[in-house]
Amino acid sequence: MAVVTDPVISTVKLSKVYRSGIGMRLVSALVDVTFDVGRGEIFGFLGPNGAGKTSLIKILIGLARPTAGNALVFGRQARDAQVKARVGFLPESPYFYEYLTATEFLRLSAGLAGVPGSEVAGRVNSLLKLVRMEASAGVQMRGFSRGMLQRIGIAQALVGDPELVILDEPMGGLDPVGRKEFRDIIVGLRDQGKTVFFSTHILADVEMICDRVGIIINGRMVNIGGLGDILSDDVQAYEVTVTGLTGKFRKVLERVGDSAIRSGDALLVTVPDDAGVDRVMAIVREAGARVQAIVPRKRTLEDHFMAHVGGKRGA
Amino acid sequence: MTGRVASIALNTFREAIRDKVFLTLLVFAILVMGSARVIQPLALGEESKVIQDLGLSAITLFCVLIAVLIGGRLVYKEVEKRTIYIMLARPVRRWEFILGKYAGLMAVLAASLVVMTVGFYLVMFITGTPASAYLLWSLLMTFFELAILTATAILFSTFVTPIASSVFTFAVYFVGHLTRDLRLLAAMSPSPVVKVVSQVLYYVLPNLSNFNIRGEVVHDVVLNPEALALAIGYALLYTATLLLISTLIFSRKDF
Repeated sequence: MAVVTDPVISTVKLSKVYRSGIGMRLVSALVDVTFDVGRGEIFGFLGPNGAGKTSLIKILIGLARPTAGNALVFGRQARDAQVKARVGFLPESPYFYEYLTATEFLRLSAGLAGVPGSEVAGRVNSLLKLVRMEASAGVQMRGFSRGMLQRIGIAQALVGDPELVILDEPMGGLDPVGRKEFRDIIVGLRDQGKTVFFSTHILADVEMICDRVGIIINGRMVNIGGLGDILSDDVQAYEVTVTGLTGKFRKVLERVGDSAIRSGDALLVTVPDDAGVDRVMAIVREAGARVQAIVPRKRTLEDHFMAHVGGKRGA
Repeated sequence: MTGRVASIALNTFREAIRDKVFLTLLVFAILVMGSARVIQPLALGEESKVIQDLGLSAITLFCVLIAVLIGGRLVYKEVEKRTIYIMLARPVRRWEFILGKYAGLMAVLAASLVVMTVGFYLVMFITGTPASAYLLWSLLMTFFELAILTATAILFSTFVTPIASSVFTFAVYFVGHLTRDLRLLAAMSPSPVVKVVSQVLYYVLPNLSNFNIRGEVVHDVVLNPEALALAIGYALLYTATLLLISTLIFSRKDF
C-alpha cells in the first residue's frame, strides 16, 4: 500500500459491531479497517450494498462511534465540532426538509456550517448555479425529484466551503447527463485543492475520476491503491475486427477465437494471446480480407471487483 | 453557538407553521372561542364569566395539543426521516440541537398564544364582554406550563415513537394537574405500595396546578405575586432539568 503523506482521513483497525433483529444478534459492519486518504485526492470507496460503506462514513462524520479502533479526520477525532466545520457531507438518498424551499434549506445549512451572515446570500446563489437549480430555488422541496434532491444535496455539502467532502452514493438517482455534471463538479473540487471521499457501487464513476480506490466487502477493506496498481497492465485478451470475409474463411475464423461476434460484414474475434492474433492474421491474409482493428483488452475494475465479490460474498 | 441554535429554532418554527396539524388546531381554537356567541344566551347572568373562562380554557387546551402533538415527534421525525444526518454532520453539538428544537417549538407556542389571545379579545369585544387585561396573567402562566410540557414531549421524543411520546406527555399533563391528590392518596392509603408509588409520582411529576389561575383572574381574585414568581422559577428549573436529561439521552445515541 502506498504511504500517504499528510493524511486527511486516517483510520486504524476500525471495527463496528451492532445488534440487529430479533434476539439482538451481533452483526459486524466493519472489521479492522485501516486506510488513509491524502490531501487533494479523489478517493473512491467501492463495495456492494451492505458491505459497510455507510457504516464507515457515519463514523467519519461523527454520527456513530467505532466499537474498536480509531478514526481521525484532520488528525482529530471525527466527532470533534472543529473537524465537522471543515467537512461537507451528502448522505445516501438524501431526504431534506420538504417544507423548506431550496434557498431556505441552503440558508439553514449555511447557518449551521457557521458561514458569516454577510456571505450567506452570495454563497447560496453561486451554489444554486453550480448545481443548475436556480430555476427551482424558491420552490418547496416536497415536489423535487430524486435527481433534484441530489443536486441540492451536493450544494448543501459545499455550503461551508469544506476542505474534505464526503459523499455517500452521490450518483444515485441521476441520469447520464447529471452523472457527467456531477463528475465535473467532483473533479472541479479536486482542482480547488479539496479532498473528495465518495462511496459508490458504480464502477464507471470510480474508473473515470478517482486517484485511488478502496474496495470493501463484508466489512473488510480487501484492496486499496491507485487504479494503476489495482488494475495491472497485463493484457487479458485481444479483440480483432475483420471485414471482407467469405463464408468459408468466416467459419474458420470463428473456430480460431474464444468467441466471435458477427455484425454485418464485420466479424469480431476474441483471442487470448499474441499467438492467437498471429493465427487470425494468417487466415486474413489467406482470405484476402482486411483487419479493421486490434484492441488489447486489459483487466477492468469490474473484472477485479467481480473476482473479489464472487469470492467473498456469503463467505 | 447562538447562531446554530437560532438556525435550528427557525427551522423548527417553519416546520410547525407549515404543518397542517398546527393550522387545523389554530383554526379550531378560534372557532371554539367564537362559539361563545352561541352559548351566550344560556349563561344566565354570568355571560362575561362564562365567555372569559371558555376563552382561557380553549387557548390553554389548544396550546397543550400543539405542544404534545408537535413536540412528541420533534426529535423522532428527524431520526426517522434521516434529516438528522445532515444536522449532526455539521458542527452542531447535541445540546444545541435539543435546545434549538425546544426554542423553535416554544416560539411556535408563543406565536399561537398571541394569535389566540387576539382572537379571544376580539370575541369579548364583539360579545360586549368586559375585556380586562387582568386575564393576561392566566395566559402568562399557561406559557410557563407549556414550557414544562414541551420539554416533557421532547424528552420522550428522544427515545420513543411520536404516538407513545404524545400519549405519555398527555398522561404527565393530566396527572400533573392532580399531584395534590397524589399526596393525599399517599397519606390516606393503607397499602404501602400505593403510598410509595404515589409519593414518588408526587415528587417526580411536575405540579401543573400551580399554573392554573383561570378561576382567580375570571373572578377578579387578587393574585399572590410570590406564588406566581415561585411557579415561574419552578417551571424554569424543571424545564432545564428535562432538557438536560434529553441531551444526555440524545448524546449517547448512534445514528
